[in-house]
Amino acid sequence: MSGSDKQPAVCLEIRDVVKQFPGVTAVDHINLEIREGEIFSFLGPSGCGKSTLLRIVAGLENQDQGDVLIAGQAVNDLPPYKRDCSTVFQNHALFPHMTVAGNIGFGLVERKVPKAEIKKRVQAKVDLVNLGGMEDRYPHQLSGGQMQRVALARSLVLEPTVLLLDEPLAALDRKLRKEMQVELKRIQREVGTTFLNVTHDQKEALSLSDRIAVMKDGVLLQIGTPNQIYETPRTQFVASFMGASNIFGGSVIDSQDGQLTFKTETGVQVVIPESKDIPDDQITGFSVHPELIDLIQEDAAPERMCTETDVMLPGTVKEVFYLGDFSEMSVMIDDTDIILTVFMTRGWSGPNMKMSQGERVIAQWSGDNMNLLVG
Amino acid sequence: MKKKKIAPKILWVLSVLTLIFLWAPVILIMVYSFSNNKYGSSWEGFTTKWYVKLITNDQVRDALIRSLIIAGITVVVSTLIGTITAYGLYKFNFKGKQFLRTSILLPIVFPSVVTGSALLVFFTRLVHIPLGYPSIIIAHIVFCSPLAVFIILGRMQRFDWSWEEAALDLGATPFRTFIRVTGPQLLPAIMASAMLIFPWSFDDFVITYFVAGVGSTTLPIYVFSQLRFGATPVINTIGTLFVTITMLGLVLVHFIQKTGKSST
Repeated sequence: MSGSDKQPAVCLEIRDVVKQFPGVTAVDHINLEIREGEIFSFLGPSGCGKSTLLRIVAGLENQDQGDVLIAGQAVNDLPPYKRDCSTVFQNHALFPHMTVAGNIGFGLVERKVPKAEIKKRVQAKVDLVNLGGMEDRYPHQLSGGQMQRVALARSLVLEPTVLLLDEPLAALDRKLRKEMQVELKRIQREVGTTFLNVTHDQKEALSLSDRIAVMKDGVLLQIGTPNQIYETPRTQFVASFMGASNIFGGSVIDSQDGQLTFKTETGVQVVIPESKDIPDDQITGFSVHPELIDLIQEDAAPERMCTETDVMLPGTVKEVFYLGDFSEMSVMIDDTDIILTVFMTRGWSGPNMKMSQGERVIAQWSGDNMNLLVG
Repeated sequence: MKKKKIAPKILWVLSVLTLIFLWAPVILIMVYSFSNNKYGSSWEGFTTKWYVKLITNDQVRDALIRSLIIAGITVVVSTLIGTITAYGLYKFNFKGKQFLRTSILLPIVFPSVVTGSALLVFFTRLVHIPLGYPSIIIAHIVFCSPLAVFIILGRMQRFDWSWEEAALDLGATPFRTFIRVTGPQLLPAIMASAMLIFPWSFDDFVITYFVAGVGSTTLPIYVFSQLRFGATPVINTIGTLFVTITMLGLVLVHFIQKTGKSST
């Protein structure tokens, strides 16, 4: 227990958990440690097992194998009503026959808290989620965002060790979702409870979380901070799921002086800097984010400074999607079938943002900006 | 072109005839129950004396009270059994579930004569349940519970079961969850089945006749026994009472289902 003062204590531990449904392994040997006070997100496409994992933590589903520990104590055999965690359901699951105050106080009544104290604690949470004046309304009189707040308050009032959020924002429209995201962060800062969030929206996961675990087919692919997950995805799936549209499969064919020669599946050779983390023979590809690529008009190219590790590929602009703050360009690289997606922002690219279809360009990016993939 | 116009007219006439056919005898009984004619079979001016006779007739009063007690107990026990059975059929998976679900329908689809005679044999030869209140109530529960099962099961299929998960998650035991969340949500369906079961039990003649034994005359049996001496105007008043009670029940069901829909 010494030397762990730097990092907050582990408050939820998932050890080698497996869950099988007929014909499919929903959760496949997952190991995880979630620390006190962080917002942790399970991110993945629908059917990746993220919700099942959450339900296993809540006790609404039983794992076939493995342990779940809340605050260091195994809860495998505890029913949901005895676990020190609480869930905010996607469809809110508010009790339609109870008022806002009745819903929020539900769990306290079950815990036999005295009436006067229930009233006090409910009121505190009503204020926390900005629902003052709505205590006596019924769920069908509330908007989607308000129902979400009630669901949140209903769980938080129990002061759980971990708050589980099952796609809490999925049912809301875009504007409301953004608003609730800000609210969730504020509320989490105020109460300091550990949030375990499930989402399929990578933007939501990036902006909300302290750490993210990307899942696919019941397997944990990568755990890291939003920065790590977005900027250095380890596998093709994570890269594409996080929106790196330019992914190249291939292998290293030569290595000298810290430079690797990488040959893509379509035959393009690129020189990339050696990585100290990944052995050459394990590299299976690389990805470049669209916002890291620069487009230069072909005839203007020589004027630009470039270093040895810069990648420069000539091509033709195929498509321009003007989106206001930036333009999304598709560039066909000469003699290949590679189509690069490039984002040109107004601030940086200026007039280049308005390149037209058919224009000859050179796509350029720094070798340091390439992210190596291992799977 | 002419034919096309005639078809809806025929349908309209048929519908009206059917309605008259269905309602005429009932309305006639209700009208004649206020008629001065001593056989209750034609209109001879307004009177309420048959209702006075009805109330002062001890036999009728006994039979009415007996029928009400039986229907009351049947409603409570049947809805209870129906709720528990429907819950089990919906929530749990077990071998033979489909068979059980179908077989519960049997008491409804079997001819009453078969059910009645089978129950009589069962009560007298096999389990020795005294004929009278016990046998009548058990018999009524037998054919009324299935109705409750299917009405409540229908509601459960439109139920949002995440309420139940939420309650468990918030610290309510399964029993407390049923008391505080599932039960109240099923209440409209439970009430609706009670309102349908009450007239079913109250009106039943055939099965009751088999298992009633001596001295446990229910109202329908009393009516039948009186008919042997020819129709009296008191029968008309009883008929009117039956129709009124049943209609009230149906109207209540209608309103309960309406409020049940608007609250979810």
